[in-house]
Amino acid sequence: MDIIYFIVQQMMFFSIPLLIVALGGMFSERSGVVNIALEGIMVAGAFFSIYFINQVQDRMSGQGLLLLAIAIAAVSGLLFSFLHAYAAITLKSDQTISGTALNMIAPAAAIYLARTTLPNGVQQIQFINTFRIEKVPVLGDIPVLGPLLFQNSYITTYLGLLILAVSAFVLYKTRFGLRLRACGEHPQAADSVGINVYKMRYAGVLISGALAGLGGLVYVIPTSTNFNATVSGYGFLALAVLIFGQWKPLRIFIAAFFFGLMKTIASSYSGIPFLQDLGIPSDIYKMIPFIATMVVLAFTSRRSQAPKASGVPYDKGAR
Amino acid sequence: MKKLLALVLVLALALPLAGLAADYDIAMITDIGTIDDKSFNQGTWEGVVEYAKANDKTYIYYQPTAQSTEIYLDMIEQAVNDGAKIIVTPGFLFEQPIFEAQDLYPNVHFVLIDGNPNDGDWSKEGGPEFRTEANAVGIVYAEEQAGFLAGYAAVKDGYTKLGFMGGMAVPAVIRFGYGFAQGIEYAAEEMGLKDLALNYHYTGGFAATPEAQALAASWYADGVEVIFACGGAVGDSVMAAAEAAGAKVIGVDVDQSSQSETVITSAAKGLAASVIAVLDAYYQGEFPAGQALVMDAAADGVELPMATSRFKTFSQADYDAIFAKLVAGEVKLLKDSDVKSVAEIPLKLVAVTEIQ
Repeated sequence: MDIIYFIVQQMMFFSIPLLIVALGGMFSERSGVVNIALEGIMVAGAFFSIYFINQVQDRMSGQGLLLLAIAIAAVSGLLFSFLHAYAAITLKSDQTISGTALNMIAPAAAIYLARTTLPNGVQQIQFINTFRIEKVPVLGDIPVLGPLLFQNSYITTYLGLLILAVSAFVLYKTRFGLRLRACGEHPQAADSVGINVYKMRYAGVLISGALAGLGGLVYVIPTSTNFNATVSGYGFLALAVLIFGQWKPLRIFIAAFFFGLMKTIASSYSGIPFLQDLGIPSDIYKMIPFIATMVVLAFTSRRSQAPKASGVPYDKGAR
Repeated sequence: MKKLLALVLVLALALPLAGLAADYDIAMITDIGTIDDKSFNQGTWEGVVEYAKANDKTYIYYQPTAQSTEIYLDMIEQAVNDGAKIIVTPGFLFEQPIFEAQDLYPNVHFVLIDGNPNDGDWSKEGGPEFRTEANAVGIVYAEEQAGFLAGYAAVKDGYTKLGFMGGMAVPAVIRFGYGFAQGIEYAAEEMGLKDLALNYHYTGGFAATPEAQALAASWYADGVEVIFACGGAVGDSVMAAAEAAGAKVIGVDVDQSSQSETVITSAAKGLAASVIAVLDAYYQGEFPAGQALVMDAAADGVELPMATSRFKTFSQADYDAIFAKLVAGEVKLLKDSDVKSVAEIPLKLVAVTEIQ
């Protein structure tokens, strides 16, 4: 039983950032803008929020500091994604290219800023992890569920699940969500009934920026003691989760947890006796999420749920 | 008007570049990793800076954009063009670039740390051609001795379930790992212990990743008490896992005790000291031309930083005693050139689980 608790607790460190960032990608793509810049936005969000933690951690610690850092990560991600929105929507540039530009500038800028502003010119931004929750009061004592979800966790786990619920609600149950989806499917039709496509797309990209920035922070906190200008390709992995989840919140949730579970098993099976006894090489586990993605793509490509207008700059005059 | 603007822009770009081309006496070119990797690039850089400041030399470092012999050679060319008289290159990945550079730039001196110049062709019978010209020197460390000290001290301090997480399986990392295993065995024999356990793994990279964190966390959950994190930033992830699990870490290359309270000691190399020694010899006109230096315990090339270590019982006297045995050559250790994998090291008291 302890092993299962351990796997679930570890899985959260993989799954929650993937979930948050993939949901971010969903808002952007659902509005009709491909957001390949998720990786770069994660770096930007992680950079500014970890930098903030680094600066104030002598005076503050614990959940209050983490909540402030979360706000900073989201705001910096939002501002950074504005570049992508401006290029892709207002300037109607190629969305892949502007996204790639963001991916390239983010780590470089993070290294440059860290080196020029931190004492002794280091690029790693150290932080002290005072955010881990040993056990949530009351909830942590519930049998089975307590150790699974409410021990050795971070508030970001619950925040991620909250974001999932809110995302699903916003996308399907609100006027905003309906309009957003319309702009991703058939922007001309949306425009004809008086929806401002540009505004909706800006909203989609900026929401995705805020979530991706937050995802960057969530990714770094449990897995390192400093931020070194990289999120190791998790932004791209989140894109795979988004596709695997077919641009739908609940399926994205399932995909993120599936990816997280496989990643956890692949990297930690040596400490888990019954998995080690199976004798399956870790490479197999590492491959599974990607093979599964391809299989899903192969089966669904005919009736892929991808937003129809995703990736196409909206041009009012086009027919 | 447009042309004028373009001209001004071009000049504006060109001027600072021209300004940069000043003369630097000492140049360092980093390997994968940065001058603040808390590991061997940083250790080397600290040596360069310390010597240059004390002796009024100008110095600079170059960070290659990627890892390849061509790019490393380009960086060397740039350093030579910037006036470097002596170039320090940490990392065995420089073996091949220096092999070529020592002929290309006979008037420039090269200090290769963690390797000896060779043509890099390991497919040939008898291995690659090793050749160190009079303008170069190769320095390798007895990492197996540093790893040995760490493993010995950890067991002496009461740890019985240990882990080794290397980065890429490069010779230096392998030597650390083999030494670590043998240090555990040595201490176990001395103390009459048996049934010690060692988990052994190379992550294949030098980055902090959730994968490395998850692996370390799973070992700690499985009862491992201390992990020797031997691969640059991999250590950051191991420390993150150790902090969560309330377990311990052994650092590598340089004293890493300031990075986390969980670091009980570090298997350190005397990087800065040997860089300073060679630079000093060069400026005294006593450059160890064409030599292959081995910095071992006898040459103060390896150590545990006892002043900052967090041992419970392992004392300075214990350390001095085992260190003296290494210096005297009483402990014979197997290296990467002796056995092919950790499983081939004859260990009786330690059960090694190698994870691929």
